[in-house]
Amino acid sequence: MKFTPTLEFEGGRVRTLEASDRDALFAVYQQPEVPGQRPLEKPEQLDRMIELGVQMAATQRGMMWALELGSAAEGYQLVGQVSAFDWQPSWLKVTFRIDALPVADMNVRALALQACIDFMADKYHLRNFAWQWIEGQNEAIKEMLAAAGFTFAARLRQAWRIGENEWRDVEQYHKVLSVADNAVTSVAGNNEGESVQ
Amino acid sequence: MNWNYETTNFLIRLPISADDEESLFGLLKNPSASAHLPKSQLYTSVQTLDELRRATMRFQAREAATWLVERLTGSLEERAALAARITLTDINWMQASGRLQWELDESVTATELREILAAVEQFCFSDLALHRLELRMLPDADKHVALAGECGFQPEGVLPAQLEFEGQWVDHAVFGKLASDPA
Repeated sequence: MKFTPTLEFEGGRVRTLEASDRDALFAVYQQPEVPGQRPLEKPEQLDRMIELGVQMAATQRGMMWALELGSAAEGYQLVGQVSAFDWQPSWLKVTFRIDALPVADMNVRALALQACIDFMADKYHLRNFAWQWIEGQNEAIKEMLAAAGFTFAARLRQAWRIGENEWRDVEQYHKVLSVADNAVTSVAGNNEGESVQ
Repeated sequence: MNWNYETTNFLIRLPISADDEESLFGLLKNPSASAHLPKSQLYTSVQTLDELRRATMRFQAREAATWLVERLTGSLEERAALAARITLTDINWMQASGRLQWELDESVTATELREILAAVEQFCFSDLALHRLELRMLPDADKHVALAGECGFQPEGVLPAQLEFEGQWVDHAVFGKLASDPA
């Protein structure tokens, strides 16, 4: 059973991870964007992650998509991964992150993120979407989050470990939707009132 | 590792499921003990027995720890009643962090809570080698928000719509304290 659908957006798509994505993902994880994360050493390390992605989706613990640029006519190129994790179905919330090559600019990431949010709001009725920005990450991510309707909620001091005795602050952003009649509408951030269903 | 310890005025100890059912119910049946948490009122001691059993399982899984706090001073009645329950949850051994939660008898003062928490924090930062402790509570629980500040926890923000309780979506105010924070 396929739990992770293909979602198209302008300039690309997200789709379920496949075993054959291993080498392309390995290239992505040679340039980790999260402070403290080291480049992967062997492509085989990703076999387990791809497998886990399917299991997580089946048990509603998380969902992982391959992020691709291109079009149906010209073909697609895998440039990253969108991950939904810490999924709490009872509380209708989930946390997102995107790991991608620099060629996936913030505009592309915002579109991919929005496509995934729309899907999870529609299919699973999730309404609270979180993102944790780690001190030292690309500052442009914050602008991307604002454009996607996320608002700053808290700065958790030294909540992210990058070494034996070294930590970084975590800024937590949320996009919270409200459910009204049959439409899911944003109540926070720049997309106020925008229908996503 | 010794999980039980004493301060000048308090014994802070792990619970014993078979023995602490009634005394814990005595503490928690008063809604003011957990007025800062989204939590349903308890109506019978069987509910606290269930909580104690779950606490034991989570402790054995190294996920959480629960301490009951007794007074070492005062009248017999005061010493027989529990002053507080302190819970350490969401322990993340990789990030070296955990979340503290208190439930207090109305008689516990800010000074006394500082004395209790100082011992708990010392244990968490030294014996458990945690680096960060966090409190989460209802943002409008003025008394407990003030207690968090008086106990040296810094406000870090408010996380929206963390759970639904009694038909309302509940925000959580977050407070943090680091092992490296000045005492």
